[in-house]
Amino acid sequence: MMEVTDNVSNEPVAGRAPLILGGHDFHSITTAVATPAESATPLAWWFFFIPSLGMLGLLGVAVGWLVWEGIGVWGLNQPVGWAFDITNFVFWIGIGHAGTLISAVLFLFRQKWRTSINRAAEAMTIFAVMCALLFPGIHIGRPWLAYWMAPLPNQMGTWPGFRSPLLWDFFAVSTYGTVSALFWYIGLIPDLATMRDRAKTQARRYAYGFFALGWRGSARNWQHYEMAYLILAGLATPLVLSVHSIVSMDFAVAQLPGWHTTIFPPYFVAGAIFSGFAMVTTLMVITRTALRLEKILTPFHFDRMARIMLTTGSIVGYAYSMEFFIAWFSQNPYEQFAFINRAFGPYWWAYWTMISCNVLSPQVFWFRKARTSMPILFIVSIFINIGMWFERFVIIVTSLHRDFLPSSWGMFYPTMWDVMLLIGSFGLFFTMFCLFVRFLPVIAAAEVKSVLPAANPHANGHAALDLDAPTMVSPHLAPKGVH
Amino acid sequence: MSQGHAVTVDPVQHSGRAFGRLTGIGAVLGVVGLGAALALSGGTKQFYFSWLVAYLYFLSIALGALFFVLMLTVTRAGWGIALRRVVENVMATLPVFALLFVPIWLGRHEMYEWMNPEEVAKNPILQGKAPFLNEGFWFIRAIFYFTVWSALAAFFSTQSQKQDETGDPAISARMRGVAPVGTLLFALTSTFAIIDWMMSLEPEWYSTMIGVYFFSGAVVAILAVTILLVHFAYAQGALRGVVTTEHLQDVAKLLFGFTIFWAYIAFSQYFLIWYGNMPEETIYYMKRQVGSWDSVGMFLAFGHFLFPFFFLMPRAVKRNSTLLVLIAAWQLAMHFLDLHWCVMPILHHDGVRFGLTDVAAFCAVGGIFLAALGWVSSRRALVPLRDPRLPESLSFENV
Amino acid sequence: MALVPPLFPEGEYFGLLAEYDSAGSLFHACEKVRDAGYRKWDAHSPFPVHGIEKAMGLGRSRLPYVTLLFGLTGVIGGMSLQIWANAIAYPMAISGKPLFNWQPYVPITFECGILLAALSTVVGMFAFNKLPMLFHPLFGAAGFEKVTDDGFFISVEAWDPKFDAAATERLLASTGATHVQLVKRREGAAS
Repeated sequence: MMEVTDNVSNEPVAGRAPLILGGHDFHSITTAVATPAESATPLAWWFFFIPSLGMLGLLGVAVGWLVWEGIGVWGLNQPVGWAFDITNFVFWIGIGHAGTLISAVLFLFRQKWRTSINRAAEAMTIFAVMCALLFPGIHIGRPWLAYWMAPLPNQMGTWPGFRSPLLWDFFAVSTYGTVSALFWYIGLIPDLATMRDRAKTQARRYAYGFFALGWRGSARNWQHYEMAYLILAGLATPLVLSVHSIVSMDFAVAQLPGWHTTIFPPYFVAGAIFSGFAMVTTLMVITRTALRLEKILTPFHFDRMARIMLTTGSIVGYAYSMEFFIAWFSQNPYEQFAFINRAFGPYWWAYWTMISCNVLSPQVFWFRKARTSMPILFIVSIFINIGMWFERFVIIVTSLHRDFLPSSWGMFYPTMWDVMLLIGSFGLFFTMFCLFVRFLPVIAAAEVKSVLPAANPHANGHAALDLDAPTMVSPHLAPKGVH
Repeated sequence: MSQGHAVTVDPVQHSGRAFGRLTGIGAVLGVVGLGAALALSGGTKQFYFSWLVAYLYFLSIALGALFFVLMLTVTRAGWGIALRRVVENVMATLPVFALLFVPIWLGRHEMYEWMNPEEVAKNPILQGKAPFLNEGFWFIRAIFYFTVWSALAAFFSTQSQKQDETGDPAISARMRGVAPVGTLLFALTSTFAIIDWMMSLEPEWYSTMIGVYFFSGAVVAILAVTILLVHFAYAQGALRGVVTTEHLQDVAKLLFGFTIFWAYIAFSQYFLIWYGNMPEETIYYMKRQVGSWDSVGMFLAFGHFLFPFFFLMPRAVKRNSTLLVLIAAWQLAMHFLDLHWCVMPILHHDGVRFGLTDVAAFCAVGGIFLAALGWVSSRRALVPLRDPRLPESLSFENV
Repeated sequence: MALVPPLFPEGEYFGLLAEYDSAGSLFHACEKVRDAGYRKWDAHSPFPVHGIEKAMGLGRSRLPYVTLLFGLTGVIGGMSLQIWANAIAYPMAISGKPLFNWQPYVPITFECGILLAALSTVVGMFAFNKLPMLFHPLFGAAGFEKVTDDGFFISVEAWDPKFDAAATERLLASTGATHVQLVKRREGAAS
């Protein structure tokens, strides 16, 4: 059979495009996925790891100085009490949502193509949540008292204020981190068993073997495993909706113009998925070339991811339009001013960056050539993330800096510590991702094997359903002119 | 299940003639309902409000059908092709809603206070909104909505029907090409239609979520209607073996999911307004918590969400015809209650006054809708006979 | 005497291990072993084979009940904790809203429900699967490491009432196995 190299042009109207190219069988999938983690560290890896580690170092310095000196090292003031800190928090949580969507929602919708990206996307989620949790932790002024957010009985007889959105965040994000980690780990177990069984050294065998928990591919185990996977997917779906909705409520329950908008929950969720898919795309474009996984992470996969970015970007665009229209419609002068200020006030440059990156740049994905071109995917996905960062910045800072009373108006200017923390958070993220790529199977090999045609137990023996054969209409009603 | 040969679907057994009787029943119901409504409350606010609720109810079902067809096309779904025609038929009734809009247009001054120049002159807020909320622009927008909906419905309907005859795969590609733009148009037109026809009943109130709220209810409604229509077809001897337990289980899963989605949207809107506690927004819920309206609201939380949530959770329920029909009918009743609760407190300030006019208007709009559905369905097969993905759909099995 | 029921059959041998070359042949072999009346046996594959539970005669996993139980516990527990903490133990009046209301407690209640449901699902799955089980006789069988790569196996345990070294081996050979071996309870295969 001729080797298929393109599974995205001439999309079939019947039948499905092959997901894995290059004539892979089960063993070659194992080899392709396991080899990068088993070989000696390639030079290219250091090229990404060292700068990431450097940025992580910056993070350490910035956090250390902040804890020592206090929040005053940031540019926060009255009226702008939240700026980079919460922008970064929402930014990183948003990015994490794509992993859960890919794992859980695409699983529930039976989208088999998710198997090539879900492992890396889930890992990305966990690292993004780690970066996100950093910010509420350090922005509270006395981070050594962060444990006060937990409902622990104490000598003061006090309890957390459960009615506050900040506390909902604490519960939501920690639940999200826990469930994402559990979901990721459960998915890893069969692949860790693979690594264990291929391990050449005692140390590796024990390390992978410990975490593989003695997995032996038993069908009785697979049965409970599959059920757990399905249940976790079913739980993670409302969870991902709820987490970013709760994050949006940090703003929406307030009375501030530009913040108090009923559409925030689904709008934020759509935006989160949008930015998350952009980050997955950025990472996968590099990973697939670096690890030679082009036949498993195919143009089809990127085409689908690009379509999702276009869809969620359009939902975000819809929300922008609704906000803008209703702000005018409401005839509330504060609301109307908030939106005019966003577009034409001192932060106009942030607003227009957001619009061009979020609304304009994804429009290229209407064209298949753009959806499957690695350079365009890489560039546009980065633009999208820049745009989404600015969206949070615009929402937070422009609404705060000029609210009801003009005498209270002010400006926010970031300090070097604000910027260092932002860069440092990327350092944490990329360092963790580099380590993940180095030591763990980046693709869910067991899941990819299960979507190969050979995995279907009915593939041999019976003729497979001929999906390309036209449906026959009963002869006595054959339409005129068609034979 | 696999076959080595091409799949055969008998167009005679699965012909839409099974739905033909709906045309007659619907026509009678429509005329009787209209007559009764006019006799009971003709020309009064009650008549127009009852008509509006019934109109929004059936419109949400038809728009939900448009969305369902667009989604099946955009996502290149294979599972749902066997039941797509049934949903298309509901979608194809959209042009009739232009006709059904006439009573709303006739009663517009009774319902929309911003259309009365004396009201506007007293109220600077309404004056500010006048560039948008004025009769002429409102009317033009209505024409626009009906044009877009009719065009989309006609396009997908006729293309699908043409494919029955020619089996041309290019038709599938064409539908796939139009669907994304169709989805964008759907989102914008349905949002502004509900702003124009429902939200502007209280012109000083606003919510950015209102379009999404209407949408979520519409999807629950169409999924319930699909279950009922498939079972109606079964009773007429059609669709058995073609639309199977497997397909209905998937529809039930979607119904479960979108019930949760409706609750999430409804709660989000309510909660944000409750928490912010700003009088210009809370007035909406204050009105809907007066007297017996309060009980209706609470009943909706349990009836439209909690009960169906637990009911639809078990897999066995999603595969049981009788139980699916029951929950579908229940959700449709709840959807009506939802729209009734959204609209009627504006007319009846101190409690529920569900009366014969509401029933009559429901029969009038519903009857005409049913007649249109019957007429559209009877002219073609109940299955997209030569859709290239039909074999995949027919052999679909849930894990 | 052990307090915990034994995990593996007593005696020298664990059972028989048969290897297959495809998911399809594994599937059909499972149907034959099921129809022959064996109970203490298992199939092994690098990925879950679609439909193999039916081929083996297994019922559905009972994990969803665990999830539901703990999910509801989380919801009730979360709501109770919040109302008790903020309205009874240390009453706090926030923005003039009533002490006892349910609305602001919904987010955390929901999250607690999901958290307990997810944790119980994972723990329950491990419990049902008796994992971790780092030492298993099959790990000593020759060629078994293929199970996480591209190998398919059926293992029939020696304490099955129908187990007979010769007869069971004949049955497995007749199902299309490429290789059948006797597996010792402790390290290594016998043949």
